[in-house]
Amino acid sequence: MASHRAPVTPPTTAGVESGDDVAGEYAACARHAVKVYGAGDTEVRALDDVTLELPPGQFTAIMGPSGSGKSTLMHCLAGLDTLTSGQALIGGTDLASLSDRERTILRRDRLGFVFQAFNLLPTLTAEENITLPADLAGRTADPEWLATVVSALDIADRLHHRPSELSGGQQQRVAVGRALISRPEVVFADEPTGALDSRASTELLRFLRSVVDDLHQTVVMVTHDPGAAAYADRVVFLADGAVVVELLDPTRERILDIMGRLDD
Amino acid sequence: MLRVSLRNLLVNKLRLFLTVTAVTVGVTFVSGTFVLSDTMLKAFDQLYAGLTSGTDVVVKSEAAYDADIAVTGGQVRPMDDTIVATVGEVPGVAVAEGGVTGFALVLDQQGEAIQPGGAPTFGTSITVDRRLAGAATFRAGRAPSGPHEMVLDARTVEKGGYALGDPVDVVLQDGPRTFRLVGVVGFGETDSLLGATLSGFDLATAQRVLGKEGVVDEVDVMAADGIDAEELRDRVAQVLPAGIEALTGAQVAEDGTQAVRDSMGIFTTIMLVFAGVSVLVGSFVIWNTFNVLVAQRRREVALLRAVGATRRQVLTGVLAEAAVIGLVAGGTGLVLGVGLAAGIRSLLDVIGVEIPTTSPAIEPRTVVAALAVGLIVTMVAAIAPAWAATRVAPMEALRNAVPAGGGVGRGRLVAGWVVTGTGLAALAGCAVVGDQRWGTVLATATTFVGLVLAGPTLARGMARLADHGPRGGGWRMAARNVARSSRRSAASALALTIGLTVVAAVAVTATSLKASVSDAVSGGNRSDLILEPAGAGLGVSPSVARLLRQREDVADVVELRETAAQVDGHASLVTAMDTAGLDRVIDLGVESGSLDDLAPGSLLVGTTAADDLGVGVGDTVTVTFPETGDTDLTVVGTFGRGSLIRASYVMTLPDFSANVTSQLDGAILVNSTPGTDPGRAKAAIGAALDDYPNVTVNDPADITRKAQQSVDQLLGIVTAMLLLAVVVAILGIVNTLVLSVVERTRELGLLRAVGGTRRQVRTVVRRESVLISLLGALTGIVLGTVAGIALSRALVEEGVTTLAVPTLTLVVYLVVAAAVGVLAAIGPARRASRVDVLRAITTE
Ligand SMILES: Nc1ncnc2c1ncn2[C@@H]1O[C@H](COP(=O)(O)OP(=O)(O)O)[C@@H](O)[C@H]1O
Ligand SMILES: [Mg+2]
Repeated sequence: MASHRAPVTPPTTAGVESGDDVAGEYAACARHAVKVYGAGDTEVRALDDVTLELPPGQFTAIMGPSGSGKSTLMHCLAGLDTLTSGQALIGGTDLASLSDRERTILRRDRLGFVFQAFNLLPTLTAEENITLPADLAGRTADPEWLATVVSALDIADRLHHRPSELSGGQQQRVAVGRALISRPEVVFADEPTGALDSRASTELLRFLRSVVDDLHQTVVMVTHDPGAAAYADRVVFLADGAVVVELLDPTRERILDIMGRLDD
Repeated sequence: MLRVSLRNLLVNKLRLFLTVTAVTVGVTFVSGTFVLSDTMLKAFDQLYAGLTSGTDVVVKSEAAYDADIAVTGGQVRPMDDTIVATVGEVPGVAVAEGGVTGFALVLDQQGEAIQPGGAPTFGTSITVDRRLAGAATFRAGRAPSGPHEMVLDARTVEKGGYALGDPVDVVLQDGPRTFRLVGVVGFGETDSLLGATLSGFDLATAQRVLGKEGVVDEVDVMAADGIDAEELRDRVAQVLPAGIEALTGAQVAEDGTQAVRDSMGIFTTIMLVFAGVSVLVGSFVIWNTFNVLVAQRRREVALLRAVGATRRQVLTGVLAEAAVIGLVAGGTGLVLGVGLAAGIRSLLDVIGVEIPTTSPAIEPRTVVAALAVGLIVTMVAAIAPAWAATRVAPMEALRNAVPAGGGVGRGRLVAGWVVTGTGLAALAGCAVVGDQRWGTVLATATTFVGLVLAGPTLARGMARLADHGPRGGGWRMAARNVARSSRRSAASALALTIGLTVVAAVAVTATSLKASVSDAVSGGNRSDLILEPAGAGLGVSPSVARLLRQREDVADVVELRETAAQVDGHASLVTAMDTAGLDRVIDLGVESGSLDDLAPGSLLVGTTAADDLGVGVGDTVTVTFPETGDTDLTVVGTFGRGSLIRASYVMTLPDFSANVTSQLDGAILVNSTPGTDPGRAKAAIGAALDDYPNVTVNDPADITRKAQQSVDQLLGIVTAMLLLAVVVAILGIVNTLVLSVVERTRELGLLRAVGGTRRQVRTVVRRESVLISLLGALTGIVLGTVAGIALSRALVEEGVTTLAVPTLTLVVYLVVAAAVGVLAAIGPARRASRVDVLRAITTE
């Protein structure tokens, strides 16, 4: 399917190297991450001292009951939201040290995103959506890499269609293409299969898997589907804003088993 | 439903404000116009009633017809002054006094003419019996008596810095004279009559200095006790010869007010045209706003329908919202209109037109008009969107419908192009054929309707052009947004189109007029110097021409006079000139007949006028003078180049003098003796005319420059007025942008999430705004230019003989429109850049 490439060196972006850490050991990392919404009576601790490292080249799934803080963790790690305390790092860069504009540029150049729905700008064609981050940077997307991504996504014949002319599965694949175009250090996907039927889900998950295996990308995916999580190299379970358990080389059965135990 | 509508209105105060403002500007014009003209009429009613309050009957010559008072000065044929005695003997007459009026220009202590802008400078006799003077009273001093005394109106006294007993220099028909100031006249609370200067003399002096020896213009009569004015009028009428009439004081007051009303009529019409343009632009903004509102509220409407609201209730709901906006706009416009009227009054005061003081007149008609315009315009503009709202299916509440621009029917597009094409072809036809005023207006309106229909295609075409901008520059996304909501973009752009069409058409016509003036001067003029009265003065004393003729350095002196008259029943301006030297000072471009045949009893006719009347050399035309009635003259030639002197008919001075009392020259064309240095001649003649400070000595370049300056001034005023319509259009663009930003919150959030900076988001919105503005500006400028060309060709008779397109000005308009787009986008862009990224991308 995809051509084999050496792991890509991430483009450097203005950022602050955080003290004692050596960049490159992990793609992204949360340290004692705390996120509190509201105050007083209405205070919600969405993240309660989460420490988590995401090694490069790994496919990590984050699971947990609804409201356990999965999305919050992802948003904070991806520089879409800020922590109340603790650290969120991308490569060696502490997100808290960046201005809004620097964080925006970091998202553009060093991260990729796939959301559950509404991933694409309706006025742009599939190809234009894929190259959007490069366009925003005023760069031309590397044509070779673009070709690689497009052929891996199997949407070569739909490139000039608008999102409204694509199926849900195709739309999500275009979104993944967009997430990959800048060869990001981490691709974040928040329930990317949430709105898809099972066939399209399977295709997308296989594709994410190959992104990690063949294109050597780092993927973090939030999901509540044990079948989806089984595609990952590692599953992190959250509950009430804290990491409760981790599972390496997961299978559907073991995930279900843990979920069962967590429910009790 | 009403509660839902009202709540919708209050949800977004900014939008409410923008929408209301769009209509308010037009309503303000409408009500301001009415309040101003009503107030002025009321003031003049009171003033004339006051002035004529002591006079029961007035005797004067009948006018052959009601000519334009601005040209004739209201002069009627003077009567032999024995009529005063005749009238005085009628039983029931207590007092009868003759009166004369004429030209008298007062100089201030520095020797400068006191000449308020546009207002006349007249001299008049002062009645001996003060009861006849009505509200005109002496504020100081006494009535003049004898050949060396005069009185002045309070305003002129103040302007000239005079005190009782001072000598005052006055330029009269036969030259300057000095009088002693013995009295100051006021008119009730008012210091002057509409800013005119008034010099008063006793009757005998007035008759002599105003060129009315042995005659009177009117006889003012006061009835004896117990005699009714009408009764007396009828008795007086019995003794009057044919052609002389008796009127009651009330009738004269009414005629005076009528004259003011007529001159206000033009002003009112012009103001109402501006109002019309603003209202039209406003209605586009409303239409668009409601379209967007309905599109955005589809789900809400669908929900209402799902829970049982009928179509009619949905329709009423939207229309109720429109009605509230319309009424608020109407009310606000009414209040602002009263302010506008007050503003224009003080402006007139500043430029010297004194309007009698009175409280603002707010007639019921004005209130009704303001509210009706506000209400009707808003409701009509909202009908189509409201109807669209009733078409929303209840099912849409359940679907996750994204408000879309909606497709545009093929039929509409085809119709749009056909209508646009027809309109443009008709405009081109008008331009080629010429002389098609209404045709031009109609064709322009047709083209505009076509543009409305074809607008969405235009917007998409514009978007396609902009789609190839540099990467990351935001052009592409902006272009796509414009294309997506092409109907909405087109509607906002078209509001701008209206304003710019008119502005561009006016600019083209004005530039053509300017070019025509310089062509006329360079092509038709053969004189070295042209003497004219300064400002809007009535004329030049004929003594100036006499003085010139005595000079060594002057070879030709050709006097020119003009008056309003009817030629074969058509109202026109007729010109009289000295025949001697005529062809040495001006090239009339004689096309048939001969200039040499011009003698008393004959006239020359401009070719256009000759065509219109169907006359040629040898034919006889009837010229009806307002003072004397019909005179038959033989056509001895036709000419094609009258535009320099605005002439369609040229006759001899003896014929003119026989029919027109005023002996003032409208202009004097002069050739210096061969060998004289033109510059020196100009200076020498200027110095020789020191006693006549109202006379300006111009060389051909001065004439061109002066004419062009006045065109520029007019252009400036018109453009300023139309800018208001453009402002309304800009509000419309702001409104559209705000609404579409709100609608696109998620997209903007997504853009931010994947790495679009705030600045980039702002850029996209700004570019979108610029595209809309440019679309409006381009269509407006193109349409306006074509319309302006056709209009210029329609105004050939008015002197627009040359066509000129002010390319630079039009380019400036385009650049300004783009800048306006940037300005309009400031608020919406800021709003767009502040969307909450997380809220935008999290799915509920
Ligand atoms: N913007 C917010 N304001 C207040 N509370 C929030 C906000 N976002 C999330 N939360 C709360 O934080 C907790 C974690 O939410 P989230 O991370 O979305 O959970 P998950 O994605 O695991 O379902 C929940 O209790 C949620 O109600
Ligand atoms: Mg979530």
